[in-house]
Amino acid sequence: MATRLPAAVIDNGTGYTKLGYAGNPEPQYIFPSCIAVKESAGVRSNIARGIDDLDFYIGDDCFEQPAYAAKYPIRHGVVEDWNLMERFWEQCIFKYLRAEPEDHYFLLTEPPLNTPENREYTAEIMFESFNVPGLYIAVQAVLALAASWTSREVSQRTLTGTVIDSGDGVTHVIPVADGYVIGSCIKHIPIAGRDITHFIQQILREREVGIPPEQSLETAKQIKERYSYICPDIAKEFAKYEKEPAKWIKKYEGINNISKRPFNVDVGYERFLGPEIYFHPEFCNEDFQTPISEVVDTVIQNCPIDVRRPLYKNIVLSGGSTMFKDFGKRLQRDVKRTVDSRLRISEQLSGGKLKPTSIDVQVVSHSMQRYAVWFGGSLLAATPEFYSVCHTKADYMENGPSICRHNPVFGVMS
Amino acid sequence: MILLEIENKIVETTLKSRLNSQKPDAVDQTVADYDGVVFHISNPGRDKSKIMVSISIRSYAQLQQHGVDEHLATIYGNYLTTPEEGYDVSLLFDLENLSSDKDILIRNASLLKRNCVACVFEKYFDLQKQYEDQGVQSKDFAIINYREDETLYIQAQKDRVVVIFSTLFKDENDIIIGKVFMQEFKEGRRGRQEAPQVLFSHRDPPLELRGTSARIGDNVAYISFVLFPRHTNPKNRQNTINVIHTFRNYLHYHIKCSKAYLHSRMRARTEDFLKVLNRAKPEKVSEKKTISGKTFVRR
Repeated sequence: MATRLPAAVIDNGTGYTKLGYAGNPEPQYIFPSCIAVKESAGVRSNIARGIDDLDFYIGDDCFEQPAYAAKYPIRHGVVEDWNLMERFWEQCIFKYLRAEPEDHYFLLTEPPLNTPENREYTAEIMFESFNVPGLYIAVQAVLALAASWTSREVSQRTLTGTVIDSGDGVTHVIPVADGYVIGSCIKHIPIAGRDITHFIQQILREREVGIPPEQSLETAKQIKERYSYICPDIAKEFAKYEKEPAKWIKKYEGINNISKRPFNVDVGYERFLGPEIYFHPEFCNEDFQTPISEVVDTVIQNCPIDVRRPLYKNIVLSGGSTMFKDFGKRLQRDVKRTVDSRLRISEQLSGGKLKPTSIDVQVVSHSMQRYAVWFGGSLLAATPEFYSVCHTKADYMENGPSICRHNPVFGVMS
Repeated sequence: MILLEIENKIVETTLKSRLNSQKPDAVDQTVADYDGVVFHISNPGRDKSKIMVSISIRSYAQLQQHGVDEHLATIYGNYLTTPEEGYDVSLLFDLENLSSDKDILIRNASLLKRNCVACVFEKYFDLQKQYEDQGVQSKDFAIINYREDETLYIQAQKDRVVVIFSTLFKDENDIIIGKVFMQEFKEGRRGRQEAPQVLFSHRDPPLELRGTSARIGDNVAYISFVLFPRHTNPKNRQNTINVIHTFRNYLHYHIKCSKAYLHSRMRARTEDFLKVLNRAKPEKVSEKKTISGKTFVRR
């Protein structure tokens, strides 16, 4: 073939699947990782008869099918049901990408701490069922780091950094050193997009009366996505709103789904209070009270001492719930404060004899945050290097699925 | 999904969002389709009000011998423009100057690949009619190398059009599954008299292709369809083309689905075996005591 066909990049997340061809700036599709199958009450219901195994829908089509049951084959980022997953990929490739899998290399993603067995299963499906010529399974956090390269120069490209991945369900803080995840130091925060939505919904419920109850969640979500931002200081922000309400308080206009009448909602303090729960989790969660900046700090402090400085220097945001305006700025300031105060204490303790060099804290924001993982994959899979690190079908046939347990790191100019 | 869709979904959704929005975003996408087709959707000269859809097809030079340019001109008319470098056909949409019926426009653009390939079929369907009327026929074939190593042959005869696909299996197991699938396919014809006749031959090309350069090999298979005038008449013609031009991918899609199905059966069977194995584990012998704490000794 004169020109090689672009590789396919598929990022299967718990909530959404992002898929498309490498080399593009954005994924061609973002749809729920959901598969709708016909449920039968029979004893051996997991085995289809005739051509029933082709009778299913994936993605957004799932919710329009009353006779089908929608299922999510991925839980907490890990594939749970391989039967469903295999069929999910079937349609991803043949219906949406319209690719003959024999012609394209594939880049798939996996969450940090995925088991090697799962990698083998993935390889089995990809090589045996789909006959793909080459496969690479990348860790999502590493791809998120790669995605942040767009905002800096070539010489600054590094695969060491702390990734804050916040989606709908849960937030992870993942330290990565030279492309390898430091698994023992990963921390989870039980606060993510969904909690912000619920929090805003709760505030609205106490104050606004015009919202139809069945639309309150949707309204809260819209408000979160459109108007929310992160403020430097809550007290000052409250004062600002008191002084000039007309400037800060926004109006949300919605339409009642049933009566088709428009309704208005005043959007006030929840604009900054919603995302604030990252930094003050006690607002909405009594069991978890550590602000995100502190979690980031602990994670880095847990890591080996020689990577701590580079980890502070490259904190990368990924996932839709990190898109709030000034999220990066605030995080950077808060982490910096903690770090500086620690250095001051150590200086005091040494009686002024030790002068520690200050630690550079940098949070990287970029425009691809929403699908940073996919974008990172698209970036890497478009490089010629990708084809040399992929596991090929020949390797697979020679050595078996175990070769896919390890996927070499690549992409940094060395 | 049993039949593959004929339109390219990515082209369709991209155009839909760009053509229907008030303030269109910039676009630059390179996407692939079956048979090594590559689409490129872009704004020429970074002008957001114009969208160019380009396609590159392997066998375009061969298609040109069969009048693909004229065929496309009848469908796309003014939207056709000089092809972008590296591509074979380009369509240009000026967002400020669109005809009123955007839906048809989008639909046609997403069918670009299908329309390119359709020209050969149209030509030979017409030839067959001509032969039938004149009572003569020629032995020439249209040969389209639609993929590397895989070829499509079309021949028009007095009373029929023969379409032969050659396809290559990369995996040994695929040959067997493919054979079974094609057998079922032949069987399926029994129930439907109006279906075209299908012949499947493995290794050797069918008689029509003897003496040509058709390849022979263990991993090669030939599938011939015999289309009669009832399939090629203007009424059914479009549908016939829709179905037949995706046939190669349809076959490979189903081979992959069958394998996925086999895998699900294997997983179910393993689960069953594991259950049996777990039952066979010997019970742990632990000292049994009565309620008062005395050891119960067996004699």
